[in-house]
Amino acid sequence: MNLLNLPYEKYKLSSGLEIILFQNNTLPFTAVNIWYKAGSANEVKGKTGLAHLFEHMMFQGSKNVPKEMHFKYIQEAGGTLNASTSFDRTNYFEKIPSNDLELALWLESDRMGFFLEALDQVKLDNQKSVVLNERLERYDNQPYGLAWEKLIANLYPENHPYNWPTIGHYNDIESYTLDDVRSFFQQYYSPANATIVIAGNFEVDKIKSLIEKYFGEIKNNSTPTAINSKPFQLNQNKFLLFEDKVNLERIYIAWHSQSAFGPDDAALDILSDLLTGSKNARLTKKLVYELELVQDVNTMQFSGKYGGHFMIVATAKPDKSLEEIKKIILNEISILAEETISTRELERSKIVIKSNFIYSLQNIDTIADTLNLYNFYLGQPNSFNFDLNRYNSVSDEDIKRIVKKYFQTCFVELRIVPEGKNAN
Amino acid sequence: MQIDRKSRPLSSGRINFNVPSIQTFELNNGLKIYFIEKKELPLIRINFLVKNGSRFDPQNLKGLTNLLSMCLDEGAGKYDALQLADEFEILGAQFSISSDPDITVLSLQVLQENFIPALSLLGSVVTEPHLKESDFQREKRKVLARFEQVKSEPDYIAEVSFEYFLFGSESPYAYPVIGIEPTVQNIQIELIRNLYQKKFFPFNSFVVVVGNIDSKSLQSELNSIFSNWKVVSTIEEPLINLKKSQRKIFIINKKDAVQTEIRTGHLSSKRSEKDYFQKQIMNLVLGGQFTSRLNLNLREKNGYTYGIHSNFNYFKEAGSFEVSTSVDVENTVNALREIYSEINKIKDGITEDELTFSKASLTKRFPANFETYRQIASNISSKIINNLSEDYFETYIERVNSVTLNDVNKIAFESIRPSELMIVLVGDSNKIIGQITNDEFGEIVVLDFEDVFKK
Repeated sequence: MNLLNLPYEKYKLSSGLEIILFQNNTLPFTAVNIWYKAGSANEVKGKTGLAHLFEHMMFQGSKNVPKEMHFKYIQEAGGTLNASTSFDRTNYFEKIPSNDLELALWLESDRMGFFLEALDQVKLDNQKSVVLNERLERYDNQPYGLAWEKLIANLYPENHPYNWPTIGHYNDIESYTLDDVRSFFQQYYSPANATIVIAGNFEVDKIKSLIEKYFGEIKNNSTPTAINSKPFQLNQNKFLLFEDKVNLERIYIAWHSQSAFGPDDAALDILSDLLTGSKNARLTKKLVYELELVQDVNTMQFSGKYGGHFMIVATAKPDKSLEEIKKIILNEISILAEETISTRELERSKIVIKSNFIYSLQNIDTIADTLNLYNFYLGQPNSFNFDLNRYNSVSDEDIKRIVKKYFQTCFVELRIVPEGKNAN
Repeated sequence: MQIDRKSRPLSSGRINFNVPSIQTFELNNGLKIYFIEKKELPLIRINFLVKNGSRFDPQNLKGLTNLLSMCLDEGAGKYDALQLADEFEILGAQFSISSDPDITVLSLQVLQENFIPALSLLGSVVTEPHLKESDFQREKRKVLARFEQVKSEPDYIAEVSFEYFLFGSESPYAYPVIGIEPTVQNIQIELIRNLYQKKFFPFNSFVVVVGNIDSKSLQSELNSIFSNWKVVSTIEEPLINLKKSQRKIFIINKKDAVQTEIRTGHLSSKRSEKDYFQKQIMNLVLGGQFTSRLNLNLREKNGYTYGIHSNFNYFKEAGSFEVSTSVDVENTVNALREIYSEINKIKDGITEDELTFSKASLTKRFPANFETYRQIASNISSKIINNLSEDYFETYIERVNSVTLNDVNKIAFESIRPSELMIVLVGDSNKIIGQITNDEFGEIVVLDFEDVFKK
């Protein structure tokens, strides 16, 4: 599809910093999006959450930018900004009126090159306290908020990089020192470990010389340590039961699946849509409409660089049994291993996916981040059509095959029940 | 090459941006259409708005409007509930219905190539929903189960309790849009059908369309689908009963909660072009963005919270001022004291620098508010819902720039009233009460969430 073919230019500075340019001068603004190849997978036990701490520390100022001023400069220029951390990477992004694009380059380069000069204990203590509160607000004090970390801790082996949550464990967050921050920065925040996407309104020659001006002199520190991830599998089903401050019981079932853009990754996404992507999806129709056993049911193919899992989550209606819900879920899945799904079902998923590709082009920040994502996982930023074709080429036979391959193996089952309701 | 990194690089040149122009037209039956042609992508977005919100729900039937919204697309025209969903999905269309206190919105996003069949489905939902007993009962059971679920959501509890105590049980804005358990129990299918008959007709609705289609074809498509839609009726406006809020602190007990949800605020005036921008600028300084006084104090200096915000909330017939955050239990009252201190300080006014920052931020960001089809549609919708002036968007930048320091400071002094601040805390009352000195925040009321709506 022509619309999904995005012309771009990719090159490297002598430091190894990778640059991707995508021009669209019909917009009056420009997106700047940086991926550092540093996520929670790069952490060590005892210091979990350190990659995410950077998402905070990087806004605490650098040699030439005082604390708080990063936000202030961008907002005063009419820009928006944020950052996020996942298992595999941390991204930093702003969208800014194009006449202030240089401002964004100045800010991003100052923290890439001169962050450590401005680091101090007061800033670290303050942001540790903020992150602890973030953890309390988003996980510990949320109903079902600890389910994800309990699940991955049991699904991935102890030494696997996806064994702990991105936010980090409470005690680990409390333990960070200035040395921890310095050494993580030196290992992972080097130019050669980052890719910058500039998308939107700019002049090509001018942007290239500005990028050289601001980033050219930034030297590499050390080379990041490679992640060591061994193949693994579950040898038996695991059953976990936890009490939480909730009123409705919830069940999670998870199987190991495929890594991002791995052989069956797209087919597993389609399977997820077939199961719970719409009112007519198999599990939704059965459990929400026909039997009214659940309040909600969702599935997802989670996939990263070093592995993936397929997860089903269902919240029981009051007084409905998780045991029965589980039985129906497993039964619906086993049906898919035997019966061929209808052409219309498969077609419906593919049309929804194709439409979503086009809807996502409305936003220049989304485009910039997707270019970085494709570049990170596939080495080729302009992979929109390639990605869409991954979905288009999934057949009904593929669905049958992946159900047999991934779902007739061992799984982790987690149940979260109201306090006082029979957990140990 | 040695470069000067010491100071901020200068901006280069100016941005060109024109507000997209709105075309309006009316169908024979009085249905008004607001249209913006946008051709970058092959897609079309529609917001179909009906002037019906939860504030119209009778006292004993709170949640009625929400349930009607939930039932509308559970079967319409030729299709039952699941068939209808299937028809939308096979077109790759995103369709949803939602209600707030003032308005119900049916929104549709679809590729240009599937626009006509998708519009026809939307037409069925609006003009010939089935509203069948069995679908209604299922949706009602969903809402009742939802009431069980929200009992464990601290932020939900804080928000709905704050609005209830702020507006007072007599006010139509006091209750959550989904209602409360006893009133939803009272709702029957006949009431849903009556509400539909009463509210869904052309004069009580309007349509916003943004997309890749020409005006002529759009008019003819809309005509063919909606021109036979006629119901004659009048709308009764409910009485809006607003009392001054009281200086009081409600602690909704959640034993062993590791954080406390905080909401504090008071009633405020309705949205008016006389003071809207002044209030917006003051709020940016106080708690409306990352470098606001509240966030710099509570997050960046004291580390009490992950984030704190203040807002002027505008409903059609009422308004409120609200500060919201969540903090670790031990610092609940320390945080409240800092919030109060910032609220008191803002009454003394903002600085010239703060004014410059706020104006620059609002005006320079303005073009980015028109990036997506969704943003444009919701901007136009909001202009109509709030009866904003015809040239609101065209004069936006000019108007923001014309606000003076005196204007803002006058509004800060008048519109922030510390003596009326009411507080809702959701957290472990045993660990909180000891932190409070005497009546520093007014009378203390401790209660369970179950008892909130009995007060």
